Amino acid sequence: MQLTHSHKVGLTLLALVAAALGLMGWKVRRLGYSFADVLPVTQYEVTYAFDFDGHGGDVRVRSFLPSSDARQAVSDERDQASGMHLTQAMDGPNRVATWTGSEVPDGARIRHTFKVLPHRIAFTIPADLQVPDAYPPSVVPFLRPEKEIQVDSPEIAAMLARLGADRGTVLERLQRIYDATHALPVRPFKGTTDALTALRLGEASCNGKSRLFVALARAGGLPARLVGGLIMDRGAKRTSHQWVEAWVAGHWVPFCPTNGHFAELPERYLSLYYGDETLLRHSNDLNFAYQYETRTALVPSPKAKASFTMFDVWGLFDRLKLPFTLLRTILMLPIGALVVVLFRNVVGMPTFGTFLPALLAAAAGSTGALYGVGAIGVVVGTVALARWGLQRLELLHSPTLAILLAAVVFSLIAITMLAERTGIQPLTQVTLFPIAVLAICAERFYLSLTEHGAKAAGQELAGTLLVMLACYAVMNSLALQVLVIGFPEVIFLVIAADIYLGRWVGMRLSEYRRFRALLLEEKR
Amino acid sequence: MSLLHLLGASRRALAAGRERVVGINRRNLALVYPNNPRHHYPYADDKLLAKECFARAGVPTPETLAVCDGLFAVTGVVEALRGKGRFVVKPANGSGGGGILVVGDWDEGAGGWHQAGGRLVTPLQLQRHLADIVFGVHSNQLEDRAFVERRVVADPLFAALWPDGLCDVRIITLRRVPVMSMIRVPTAESGGKANLHQGGLGIAVDLATGRTSRAVHRGRAVEAHPESGARLVGLQVPRWDEVLEVARRTAGSVPLGYLGIDVVLDAERGPLVLEINARPGLEIQNVNALGLGPAVARAEGRAG
Repeated sequence: MQLTHSHKVGLTLLALVAAALGLMGWKVRRLGYSFADVLPVTQYEVTYAFDFDGHGGDVRVRSFLPSSDARQAVSDERDQASGMHLTQAMDGPNRVATWTGSEVPDGARIRHTFKVLPHRIAFTIPADLQVPDAYPPSVVPFLRPEKEIQVDSPEIAAMLARLGADRGTVLERLQRIYDATHALPVRPFKGTTDALTALRLGEASCNGKSRLFVALARAGGLPARLVGGLIMDRGAKRTSHQWVEAWVAGHWVPFCPTNGHFAELPERYLSLYYGDETLLRHSNDLNFAYQYETRTALVPSPKAKASFTMFDVWGLFDRLKLPFTLLRTILMLPIGALVVVLFRNVVGMPTFGTFLPALLAAAAGSTGALYGVGAIGVVVGTVALARWGLQRLELLHSPTLAILLAAVVFSLIAITMLAERTGIQPLTQVTLFPIAVLAICAERFYLSLTEHGAKAAGQELAGTLLVMLACYAVMNSLALQVLVIGFPEVIFLVIAADIYLGRWVGMRLSEYRRFRALLLEEKR
Repeated sequence: MSLLHLLGASRRALAAGRERVVGINRRNLALVYPNNPRHHYPYADDKLLAKECFARAGVPTPETLAVCDGLFAVTGVVEALRGKGRFVVKPANGSGGGGILVVGDWDEGAGGWHQAGGRLVTPLQLQRHLADIVFGVHSNQLEDRAFVERRVVADPLFAALWPDGLCDVRIITLRRVPVMSMIRVPTAESGGKANLHQGGLGIAVDLATGRTSRAVHRGRAVEAHPESGARLVGLQVPRWDEVLEVARRTAGSVPLGYLGIDVVLDAERGPLVLEINARPGLEIQNVNALGLGPAVARAEGRAG
């Protein structure tokens, strides 16, 4: 029982693997591709949710909106405000948003949503960097005192001297100021704490610590400013946050004395405004409720999109206005099919057809896996019922299939209506399921039901759904999707795996059970 | 013996077991693909085509009474059968026993054929059944042919095992050499079909002697038929040498090297070949409590 042509198979495998690895290596070395860019990044969706009861008169709500910079990319901004008009203006580096409305009734609401792709930054301040004698004119204002940043107060000067932050290199001064403000016990004050109050109390909230930091830095000859924004934690919150930036050799370097970040800022920090401002102001006499809502989602790294340009399928789909999900679905099908092969030939799990589970998994991309399984269950049940009824009419095969297709359409529309009625948004996408795939699935189920009985048909349906879930998990892995887009030669490796499995004579897992008595029996 | 020794021993036993037992992957890659070129599958799938080959090679088969190869032929076939009885209608390309109609004696008064269980098949029903077959209802293809065979009168030994249906002998051959064999017995549970996965019963037959050694029903060893109570073990299949000879001749009549050959024993005519299968199932290993691996290796040695 020897297999023939083994050397041909071996050579083909070798060629495929060598081609794939060679192409990958070439791209990484010559075209600057990076495997790290394959990993998805977290995109945050932030919503300003303001609800208030107007008094029938004029209402103004004023806040800040984020700008894109080197640390955060802001996109997909949209505003939904009932009866309120949004105007935007730049005030220095800040984007000021003002919502105005006249005769605003009770129950008014503002929802302003945007997506942010932030990343962590960290600076290294040279240890020997000296405080310069003069600063560019644009930076000079950040050395001056402000109402709540009392740079010229003798108490500040005394503290600076005590800390030793009035002498030494830039790094030494910043380190001492940072250590002192970071060491202050945190106390969640309501409202604002000025620099002096923080100093006198010896404890402060984020804005008190930050003002004291800025006051000390400015007094020590280092330009500094307040930064306001949000820490984007998933869920809803009402607290905003403040931290500081110091101007060091042409860069605004961030510090957060409250949460202990020195010359660095974590990913979750969203910068909204610079300077001693208030994030949210509104007209008086409003019963005003507000919160900031954050949702997260994984998205392909923008670096991957920018650097994986050799075949640029990405750009092709963009130009043709085809959705990214379609691109992913198509590219992931070979991998889904490999998963099916593994389940059928290695595990020995019965499924309807060879690639139905992969196709179903691709289809479930729009509804999500669990709703997809539910929808398939409903459709298959309906169609099997219809088929059972039709059996009594003794119709020919093709017209029967045509009627079953109608049953699929009816059940899909019924599911959609039900989903809309119950507010299950993902399930409303069920009509995007390829109807033919569902009809085939249902027909297979019925055939199996009549030919092999309820138990076998149920096992096959369960197997199909299980393998579909496995396919879904693999095919919806964003990292794998970007990998295939950037390195389509991964498909060569998939083909190599298919070839290997195509020549694999090992026993299926299910056969270990089927022949268990034979396997362990002594040789006869 | 230490636990490690025990584990090692069972691992070695499992490795040896894996060599003996043939799984689906190995059957397809090592037995079916090299021996049965796909373009020759019709010789196994199309029972009428197979019968032509059998006739040329002198392989005995049940007599063909009529062939219905189109809708136009249906009425003619039904008229020719009127008055005759004891025949079986089959689709040429059926699978799993679907579309097979077995009828008994013709009843002039009732105007139909009697069936087991007292039902009556009228000429109109027969006409419709033939039309269904011709339209491919039972064969997963667009059209098919139907044929009518004289009913086999089972040898008393087999009739005793299961009086309502037909038991057959499944013989696996590799390049004309018999490899393993079993008797398949229908049960009420299997709906009168002899297929093991549908609840039929398998009896191991020793290739050399034709004696039955053990029987398996639903994966369990049994000694008697669970419904009829007939004894299954220690029986001698009559005319066993003839059965093997017919199997060898059958294997030589078609260009397929690895076959499951279904032979029935007719009370008068002896072994008759019903059909052949180009991808015979693997349950025969469980029935015989033997892996196909060593048996195939021996057959390969004999076939050269």
